[in-house]
Amino acid sequence: MTPVSYDIELTGVYKSYPLGKSRIPIFEDLTMTIPDGDFLAIMGPSGSGKSTILNLIGGIDTVDGGHVSIGGTMLDKMSTRALTRWRSEVIGFVFQFYNLMPMLSAAQNVELPLLLTDLSASERRERVHTILDIVGLADRHDHLPSLLSGGQQQRVGIARAIASDPRILLCDEPTGDLDRKSADEILELLQLLNTKLGKTIIMVTHDESSTRVAKRTVILDKGRFVSEEIAQCA
Amino acid sequence: MRLSPSLLIRQNLTRKLLRSILLILCIGVAFFIFGVLSSFRQGFEGASSQTSRLVVASKVGGNETLPLSYLPEIEALNGVSDVTHITRLRAFVGNERNIVGANAVDLESYARVYADAYAFDPEMLRAADADRTAILVGRTLAARMGWSTGDTVTLTSFMHAREGGDRNWRFTIAGVFDGAEVTTDTSFLLARADYFHAAVMRNKNRVDLFGIQPKPGTDTEALAREIDALYANSGAQTRTQSETAFMSAFLEQFANIALLVRLIVGVAFATILMIVANTMIFAIRERTLEIGVLKVLGFSGGRIMRIVLAETLVLFALGLCLGLSLTAAVIPVLADALQSVVPGLYLTPRVIATAVALAVGFALACGALPSINALRLPIAAALKHR
Repeated sequence: MTPVSYDIELTGVYKSYPLGKSRIPIFEDLTMTIPDGDFLAIMGPSGSGKSTILNLIGGIDTVDGGHVSIGGTMLDKMSTRALTRWRSEVIGFVFQFYNLMPMLSAAQNVELPLLLTDLSASERRERVHTILDIVGLADRHDHLPSLLSGGQQQRVGIARAIASDPRILLCDEPTGDLDRKSADEILELLQLLNTKLGKTIIMVTHDESSTRVAKRTVILDKGRFVSEEIAQCA
Repeated sequence: MRLSPSLLIRQNLTRKLLRSILLILCIGVAFFIFGVLSSFRQGFEGASSQTSRLVVASKVGGNETLPLSYLPEIEALNGVSDVTHITRLRAFVGNERNIVGANAVDLESYARVYADAYAFDPEMLRAADADRTAILVGRTLAARMGWSTGDTVTLTSFMHAREGGDRNWRFTIAGVFDGAEVTTDTSFLLARADYFHAAVMRNKNRVDLFGIQPKPGTDTEALAREIDALYANSGAQTRTQSETAFMSAFLEQFANIALLVRLIVGVAFATILMIVANTMIFAIRERTLEIGVLKVLGFSGGRIMRIVLAETLVLFALGLCLGLSLTAAVIPVLADALQSVVPGLYLTPRVIATAVALAVGFALACGALPSINALRLPIAAALKHR
């Protein structure tokens, strides 16, 4: 039965990466909880493990020790096939460099994850239209990514991430490649997805001003949380 | 345009259009070489060659003859159903470059022994029986020379002179015969052996070959050994072989055609395979990040592997179509030009089926490595790839 709440829990996580013949630990005993509906900003210097947290929560990397549980589902216990299916239903990813398919139009990029669903072609088209409308790109339906600005490409990236209606959005530096104005528009869009649609959003960022849309901000350093700030408006 | 896996495959193939076109051309050339050479091989060997029939020739070589008196002795052997004899005229029409295949045979027994290969109309045989100078002409030769029934033709033999030294032989066409199949060689004519042996100046009643139809169920190898043993101590020793072995041995006098074909096709395919596999590996490596994104979106490794394999299959299918179309266009021209050298040159269904099987096999082989790489690629590593 589908769990009602998608709380994210990392318990005693140990994660290391190979460096030559030895391994460098990133997390040695990381424990954290992100409640369903949260908007968490993660900041910290390069190499502190910000993106690794996103990868572990998104099931695209695995823990060496400890557990990652989302809505009661233990990711480290799932098969690759089950994890792939689960990810397509529960997680949406937003990348710093958009990572759109260059040969597909904006609408086709958004439709891509819907190919894995049981929706008919007309239902997919309808949903793509609605989503592009939400992100303010209804008039850019047939444009190739190369014909869109950075901000517009990131909107397509967000539209693609929410196309299959996931509960959790993982955003890795979503405004890192954008000018201030476009960055602000993207942040407002993410805030809208959090407040209006109830998506849990975890956003990794280097930009302190970006954290204003988050409900909570944590600072990560050398694999440990060194401070946490809860927004006044949250 | 509606998004579908086939659209993804098409878009991937057309994103570097020149590269895809060059690959298709490459594959097309490989299958063109395959199609032409395989058709040549089949044309040389002749689709009518069948293994149950035996051919008796001189053990010494193709230019040596055997006495016609062997025929009743061979006919009397236990496993022999029927025997005929063949003498090559080695002749040309008009000029020495216009060589025609011409054999002096006993038409009645020849028609029986080769009943499965050639369709001899009884009327035609009766007409030939009525005229000692009659010949029966194969359909391909008749078409090439523009001959028809009733025409009188003069053949000049390189080696058989008539009594008096004249090497010109005048014949009247009594009929045109067809092969049992489209690939059956009909680019030769048959003259009456009784007329030939009566008129020829030297080597009277000496023949080049005996064709034997064994009785059903006969051990043909044992029969061949028995015939050769019969004449082991004679002045004209024999070599008895299956018809297929005889044809192969005949061709190997010039070159080992089968080996040449295999070598050329093998080298062409190995080269093409390496080029295509290498290009596909690079093409997939260029898309490492995209594959990572597809996996993040929920596309399984198997699904991505199928997309990559489908791309190579499409490339090979298009290359195959191109190669076979070129072959189909070129074969009639070659068949016309080389009719006297390679009779029965056709693009046969067997060659097409083999080409299709090879295309599928090579597509899977070429696509396997890049698609397995795509399958194994860790997502986190792929996303770092730029």
